[in-house]
Formats: sequence, C-alpha cells, structure tokens
Amino acid sequence: MPNAQSTKHNEPAKKRNYRPLVSTKALQKTMGRYYAITNYHRYWGKPLRRPLAWVTSGAPVELLRAFKIHSAYPEQYAAIYSARQATVSLCEVAETAGYSQDLCSYARSNIGGVLRPDLAPLGGMPKPDLLVACNNICGTVLKWYEVLARHFNVPLLVLDTPFLTGELTPQAKEYVLEQLNAMAVDLEKITGRKLNQQSLAEQMRRSAEITSLWKETRQYCQASPSPLNAPDLFIHMAPIVVLRGSQEGINYYRKLEAEVKERVKLGQGAVNNERIRLVWDNIAIWPQLFSFYKLFAEKGACFVTDTYSGGWAADHAPGTPMESLAATYTEVFLNRSPEYRANQLINLIRDYKANGFVMHSNRSCKPYSLVQEVIRRKVMRETGVPGLMIEADMADPRAYAEEPVRNRVQAFLETFDDLT
Amino acid sequence: MTKIETHSAPNELLALLLEESTLKGAERFQRYPERKFFGYFCSYFPEELILAAGLDPLRLFPDSENSTPAELPAYSCSLARGTLDMEIREKWQDLVGIGFTHTCDTMQCLSGIWAASGHSKTIDIVPPVMLTAQGASRYYQSELTNLIQELATLTQQDITQQALQDALLLCAHTRNLVTELDTLRPNLPSPIVFAILRAGQLMPRAEYVKALEQCLPTLKEMAVTAHRRAKLLVTSAVLENDSLFTMIEDLGGRVVADDTCTGYRHYSGHTLTESGDPLSDIIKRYTGMPSCPCKNRSLNERISYLSELAKQREAQGAIIVIRKYCEPHAWDAVTLAETFRNHGIRTLTLELEGANVGGQERTRLQAFIESLSQAPELSKEG
Ligand code: SF4
Ligand code: SF4
Repeated sequence: MPNAQSTKHNEPAKKRNYRPLVSTKALQKTMGRYYAITNYHRYWGKPLRRPLAWVTSGAPVELLRAFKIHSAYPEQYAAIYSARQATVSLCEVAETAGYSQDLCSYARSNIGGVLRPDLAPLGGMPKPDLLVACNNICGTVLKWYEVLARHFNVPLLVLDTPFLTGELTPQAKEYVLEQLNAMAVDLEKITGRKLNQQSLAEQMRRSAEITSLWKETRQYCQASPSPLNAPDLFIHMAPIVVLRGSQEGINYYRKLEAEVKERVKLGQGAVNNERIRLVWDNIAIWPQLFSFYKLFAEKGACFVTDTYSGGWAADHAPGTPMESLAATYTEVFLNRSPEYRANQLINLIRDYKANGFVMHSNRSCKPYSLVQEVIRRKVMRETGVPGLMIEADMADPRAYAEEPVRNRVQAFLETFDDLT
Repeated sequence: MTKIETHSAPNELLALLLEESTLKGAERFQRYPERKFFGYFCSYFPEELILAAGLDPLRLFPDSENSTPAELPAYSCSLARGTLDMEIREKWQDLVGIGFTHTCDTMQCLSGIWAASGHSKTIDIVPPVMLTAQGASRYYQSELTNLIQELATLTQQDITQQALQDALLLCAHTRNLVTELDTLRPNLPSPIVFAILRAGQLMPRAEYVKALEQCLPTLKEMAVTAHRRAKLLVTSAVLENDSLFTMIEDLGGRVVADDTCTGYRHYSGHTLTESGDPLSDIIKRYTGMPSCPCKNRSLNERISYLSELAKQREAQGAIIVIRKYCEPHAWDAVTLAETFRNHGIRTLTLELEGANVGGQERTRLQAFIESLSQAPELSKEG
C-alpha cells in the first residue's frame, strides 16, 4: 500500500493558505540521509555483511533489523516517482513489457524503474540481496515480488498473514508465528548471523516508541483548529515507514511532536480559518498532492486525520517479540473486514469531531478500495455525516480527471455552507 | 425430466449435460426441487465439505458481464460485479448459503461486501496462500474444522466422518471421470468438453456423475484421432461460457490443455481417499493440485507445470486469457508468455471483459491460429 515522500514541498505550501511545518527541514535531513545511505549500499553492504532487502510496507522489518539487514521500500520509491512526475513513463515501460495497465501503479512503476533505472528518480533503487513480502496489505505484493525474485534471482521470503474476517484466531496467530520462526532461520542462513533475541527486543521497543510518538502527534489533531492537514500527515509519515525501529526516526518524531503540540497551545491551525473538519480514507493522491488538497484548504476544510498514515499508529500487540510481531502484522487494518474498517472510520469521525469524510477510490489498490462503498454507507448511517467518493489513483496521473473531481469536491463542500 | 432414468440414451444425457452448462444453474428450483444448493466461487472452496453437509455445490456465475452494482467500483472484475448484482436482485435467494475462499483481493473484498449488502448467509474460509509454508497444513486443518462447524450450524446437522469419507469418494470419482474425458480432449470438439466440465460445477453432483459415467462411452466413440487442428493450451480464470472455446474450434484450433478455473484445473490433482482421515486427504489434494496464481507452492512451480503440460500435450500455441481487472492472472501472464516462448510455444494474450469473445478477438485468434498452422510441425503432420 503506502508511502510518503519527503522533499521540496515547503515552497508550494507557503503560497497556499497553509502553514508550513518547521520540522519539514528535519524531515528532509532525516530522509535525505536514509536515501543517501541506501543508494550507496553497494559500497558498504558487502564489507559490513549487511544485505539490502526490498520489503513491502507491511513486512516485519523489526526482525530484519535484528539481523542488521538494511531495508528499502519499493512502495516508498514509487510514491517519490509519482511526486516527481515519473510514474507515467515508468509505467509505460512496464506496460510495454506486458504488465497490464490495471495492475497496481506502485508495482508497475517499480518494475518500470527496474527495467529502466535511467528513467527513475534517484537513479532507481539499489539492487536487492533479498526480498521480503508480507501479504497483510494485499495479494498484489506476492505476485509483484515473485516477478522481482525471478528478475534478480535472489531469495524471496514471504510472510503469509491470513485475512481476518473477524478477530485474529489462535490458528492464524500460530501459523504466522511458525512462519516468523522459519523466516528467522532463513535469515540466519542469508546473513550468517544468529538471531539475537535481545537485539530483536530492542528493535521492538524502539518500534513501539516511534509508533506511540506518531500516534500522539496525530492525536493532537483532535484539537480545533487541527495543527496538521492530510498532506502534512502524508509527508511526515515517511520516517515511520522506512525508519521504524531506528533512533533517527525516534529523534525526528520527537521534534515533530513538539512542534505540533506547540501549535495546539498557540491555537494555530494547519489551514487558516478551519471551518470544516474531514477524515481521509485511502492512499494519498501523490501526483496532485497539493492541487487536490488545496481545493479543500481554500474553503477552510482540513483533513484532520486519515486511515492511511494512521495505519502506522497501531499499538503493538502483547507477548514475546515474535508473538507481538505475529499479531501486530496480521491485525493491520487492510487485512481486516469492511465491518472493522467502517468502525475504525466511525471512531475517527467521533474522536476528531469531523463533519464529513472523503474516500479516494483508488484504482490501483483493490483491497483498500473495493469495499469503500459499503463502508461509506455504514459510516454515513451511523454518524450522520456525509461521505464523498472520488475516483483517482495514488500514483498514476492518467486516472485523474481534474474537472469532474473539482466539481464533485465543490458540490460536496457546499453542503457545509451553514458551518461558520 | 431431469431425473436420470437408468435407460436414458447416452446422447440424451449428453444433451442434459450441455443444457445444464448453458443454464448455469438458472432453473435449479424447477429441475431439482428436492435439492439444496450451496453457492461458491472458487475452486479452493472444498466441495467435499459442501457435499458432506448434504448440500450440492453450485458455482456462481454472472448472468451479465456488464453489471455495475453501486457497491463495487467499475474497476473490479465482471465476475464479482455480475454475481453481486444478482445477489442484490435476489437471484441467489434459494441458496442455503454462499461460500467465499480467500484467493485474490477481489474475492476477499467481495465476501465482506456481500455480507454487508446481500441477503444470503455467507461463510468464509481463508486457506494458506503459501501452501508449503511452515505450519500451513496445521493451519489449513483448523480452518477446515471451523468450516465444518459453520456448515453444520447452517444445516443444523452434524457432519459425520462417514459423510466426509463418502463425499471424498464421490469427488474422487468425479475427478477420475473428468480426467478420463480430459485425456480425450485432443480428439473431441473443445466446446463440448469445456461445457461438460462446467456442468459438473452446476448440477447436483450425483446426477452429474451418473450422466457422465453413461456418456463416456459415447464420447469415446465420438473421439476422432485424425485432425489437422492447431493444438492449443488455454489458461484463464473463470470462463462462464464456451464462447472462446467455440471460436477456437471454428477457426481450426483445438484446446488440448485446459488450465482454466472452471475447466480442468477445477478437477485436477490427486485425490487421496485411503488414509482414514478424510480432512487430511482433502488438505493434501487442495495443497497439491495445480495451483492458481493466487497460491504459491514455490516460486516457479506453476510456470513450470504449465510449460510441462504444454509439452506433454504437444501444444503449439498458448492462449493466455486475462479477465479485465483480474490482477493475479494478469501478473502471471507476463512470465508465462515469456516461458512459453522460450519453449517454442507461441502465445497470444487476450484481455476479455468477461467470457465472451467478439469480432476483435476473432481477428486476433484467426491470425494466431493461422500462424500456428503454418508452423513446421503442423504442416508435417498433415
Ligand atoms: S495493491 Fe494497494 S496495498 Fe498492495 S502494493 Fe498496491 S497500493 Fe499497496
Ligand atoms: S477473475 Fe480474477 S479478480 Fe476476479 S475473482 Fe477471479 S481471480 Fe479474482
């Protein structure tokens, strides 16, 4: 599913009735370092015996970190490709190679970048030594990583987290746990290191810390006006995705949290004259990140929270590190029933005192989007607030029809005209 | 009229099978008023358990490929859209329940959408995706045990070990009969074979088995060896009618290997019956059968299996069908096409909205089949 990008958003933000965050500088620095170290991996990885893994956003990265594996996220790079307007040309490369235009655009643009790194921002991704996929976010990642495994001829480790139609069952938890133990054995072989339980526990501790920092930061947005708007959340989620379990990540989120807290103290909203409070559902529309959300901000509408970047704010499940990993990664919201997801949205609307919600029906991401209409109905029924559905794509701008989107957004916002 | 009399002439029974395959379950109440049907979608829903619960499995097919129920976005496959639309129009009202299996993302979503907006009782099973992963078979076993309980609750009747064993034997027998038919494939018109296989997913199972048993001798007689048809492998998700197979046949092709969800793949794999533990036999069959793109036994297993199958059946060409918006099949299509080509098998990838083929496909298929007929091996044969 996910990801955010980092760079260059300060400037356009200033022009847009929009309060820029000072922490953006720190974010750029933190992410800049991460990309630099990642892109130079081929020089330091071998001598330091630290393989590079390409991982899905829902992979149990704490376990990899315990093996000193460096992780890179194709979904994250794909979001950057999109923000840098490279998605179409990369997707076309993949489409020419036979990949249908209906496949997830993160996957297509990633494959395009693998086939033609010269067309990819940042020179594409550094080559992986192994691939780790977890199907807790979608079935697409399995097929996508199979393609990558054949292409690079490197090991593919898959964690199969059964879809939860209700609560996590003991048999599903046990199955995931057994696989994690088997994965640890595979990683011992691949890295030549033994699993150090202490180091894993330490990774889990840091990961829990970064998660609670992100969670607390988000909760400040329950204030009115909200100190953050959706584009802030999308941009500032980058470290929680790629630096989960790292001290750099923790340092960064401490800064962000302090700034957000201060904003609340001063009564400063992300959007000037916040009048309408909305909740966002689905991945950001990266290629239109500012122009789309501006349609809302200029009418005083702020996205005070969202389900997407909120996916990284879920508390760790209890138990030993391995048990906690098994449950936490299986219980992610995309791996759960529409009923669960509707309730999640209902709670967000209540907790954040939202006046409405907007769902991005995202052609690329079937597990996120196919169930949205039944969720929309249930949420409207139970909260009484209106929900708008917008069809687009998180990365491929060819699926974005500007005029109809603008009209729908305007009509939706007019329904709040009585809010002052 | 649908009851199979012991002396029905085999060609009448053949007509019955073909008729059932065309009706797609539409007249089930009139034809089999005493039977109780349980709907399902995917070949990974264990039909043994449906039968053991005293129900007949009915595979759900859409009655239109252009349905657009408001509950699903237009970019979902027409199988999901069409069947859900029928649910909303109360076309599945008589079913005792509907079973969903976790395979692709669409099916996973459809189950929840159905439960939220439909009228039927739904039941889910989430088999492992990584079929050989550590702990997969133990997990599978627990999922099946749960499913047995859910089915028993639905019918208010326990499912006994004996009922499971009987269902296992019935399924093994069905699969053996179908396998016999599958070996006649090169010598029988493709649409007929395809239709008979589909009928087995729509008719009461006992009736199907009887009809097929009695038809097989006739089908064997009908089989003619000498032909100059281009030999093809077809791989696809669900195909709810014979449109493609008919066009292939009309254009001088013959489907010698069928890897479609509703064709031979549904019946393939070894059914063990003798361990005395029916559940573990069932698991072994579903784990070991040629997999669909949504499942993984090992990285290249499905690809190698299909290229081996093409080789065994001496296929000269392969048609890879992608149902519009079907991700798993679209993913495999690329590697498959490349692998087939590396084995000297020409390939044609067809993207279809549903199961129907039209003018555009005819042109492409014709050119493709003609190119195969000019291939050296085939000219030698003639
Ligand atoms: S299908 Fe959705 S969850 Fe899966 S990789 Fe694509 S965007 Fe992410
Ligand atoms: S046709 Fe494809 S997308 Fe549709 S249900 Fe089947 S496997 Fe899933």
